[in-house]
Amino acid sequence: MPQEMQRKKVVIDETEAAGWIKDGMTIIIGGFITSSHPMAILRRIIKNGVRNLTVIGSASSGLDVDLLIGAGCARKVISPYVAGEAIAPIGPFFRVAAERGEIDVWEIDESMYYCGLRAAAHLLPFMPWRGCVGTSYPEVNPDIKVFRDPINNETLLAVPAIKPDVAILHAAVADPYGNVQHVGTGFGDRAQHLAADKTIVQVEKIVPNEEIRKEPAKTSIVGADALVRAPYGAHPYSSPGFYIEDLEHLKEYVTAANVYAKSGDRGPFDAYLEKYIFGPKDHMEYLERTGIRRLFSLYEY
Amino acid sequence: MSAETAKDYTTKELMAAFIANDLEDGLGILVGANLPVPRAGVLLAHLTHGPNMRIIISFTRANLVNEPVLEPFEFITDWRASRWAEAYYIHSDFIDYIKRYGMNEIFFIGGLQFDRYGNSNLIGIGNDYKKLKFRGPGGVGSGDKGAHCKRYYIYTNSHSKRTFVERLDFVTAYGWGEGGRDARKKMGIPGEGPRYVITPLCIMDFEEESKRMRLKSTHPGISVQDVIDNTGFELIVPENVPTTTPPTETQIQVLRNRIDLEGILRRK
Repeated sequence: MPQEMQRKKVVIDETEAAGWIKDGMTIIIGGFITSSHPMAILRRIIKNGVRNLTVIGSASSGLDVDLLIGAGCARKVISPYVAGEAIAPIGPFFRVAAERGEIDVWEIDESMYYCGLRAAAHLLPFMPWRGCVGTSYPEVNPDIKVFRDPINNETLLAVPAIKPDVAILHAAVADPYGNVQHVGTGFGDRAQHLAADKTIVQVEKIVPNEEIRKEPAKTSIVGADALVRAPYGAHPYSSPGFYIEDLEHLKEYVTAANVYAKSGDRGPFDAYLEKYIFGPKDHMEYLERTGIRRLFSLYEY
Repeated sequence: MSAETAKDYTTKELMAAFIANDLEDGLGILVGANLPVPRAGVLLAHLTHGPNMRIIISFTRANLVNEPVLEPFEFITDWRASRWAEAYYIHSDFIDYIKRYGMNEIFFIGGLQFDRYGNSNLIGIGNDYKKLKFRGPGGVGSGDKGAHCKRYYIYTNSHSKRTFVERLDFVTAYGWGEGGRDARKKMGIPGEGPRYVITPLCIMDFEEESKRMRLKSTHPGISVQDVIDNTGFELIVPENVPTTTPPTETQIQVLRNRIDLEGILRRK
């Protein structure tokens, strides 16, 4: 068969995938609070020293976004929430950087987050929305406009399109051709993909195309532009069907971040970055540092 | 099983029972991970008188009536709830769920600050948005849910003059705006708005005409003056303020044996 008639495989490694992300770009990150963030790729982006990113977190962002702020990669954050539930009621770096004006926050509610992504997916300039009429969002985020709708003359909000350059997601499996399947609901990953110019998905396993065709209804993302094989790639966050979050690691992060937030001493956080991000040469070495016993202790049932 | 008043209960169990008593069968309700009292209240209603409720738990829709024990989860994303799922709750689709699901659901809204009209703030504290004295986590979905649900409850673990304030620095969820029974209607906001405010000291509601916050009952051991002293605005205080109805023996048994085996509600 001639070369040009072979279906293209889109599997690359996390180093090459992270190389897509350049200074000043707008990225959107999959998952939800403590689950399914594409950490293998994010760690590499931090290691590459990328700066001035506009970081769109998940609809409820976790400490993945907080880490990007702490590592100095983020200039602007688009998110309705940056925290870690009980282990961090507010992201420590998010809080401090926002208070000091070191990052701009594009303030929105979860509904507006999806309206913005829908507008981008629909190739529209904005999407009308009623939820949050009467709130402070249009004051603190002047890009959101209060308007009278031309059909019924009702007061609504115009939520501008949110247009990521690259969506970076974590899912369960994909075939080599970019057909992705999640275990579980996939949170907001589909909407993030549909709004972005390009989508990179890291997966726990690359499976044969036959596996995808067993249950095509499960295919959540069609045509990922790049795939990265990253077993335990969401660690220290959970990956539905594979492992739960690593609470001990998350506490280590929060403790280090809180030392900086409370005293300005970056020592413990720099040590964290060195241990988990700058030190390991790649994702596999990160997993080796974490250790088999720790990783295999993170089972669901 | 007994409808008799429980002899031994904590304030958190009392608050959970209050929530349960106010939830009718057939509602849809999201159960989060990080608010143990509302979680327990919702599940208590479901297990005692709500067999047709639809419980949204860890991004699934479930009916848990026949489950003997409901272990708590530490995080809302805990996929172990999938074993109960009858359907998935695709988060990015929640803005499509409003007409058929959302408007039959109730919700709990928290905040850094609340005012007398039940508006709430999760953005932060400070006059200047660009130089906040305290940056909060963000409004999450509270602003939209405040509009697009059947009714909601304000829930807070902190009843003080710092949380119940004269004027909010920012509004993330619109309650009754500047007041008045038609405040929401004038703004075109659907949903019945905030019904009760549930705190560790008391239950408050909203006076029918002005929609100003009004003391409804105080928890055992809490005086009316305690509430006034910890509220940063003038509450409407009726002549007679009853004590919050205590849980029944049955409610305590269900809480302790099926919902809260770990005793989170029994901790001080």
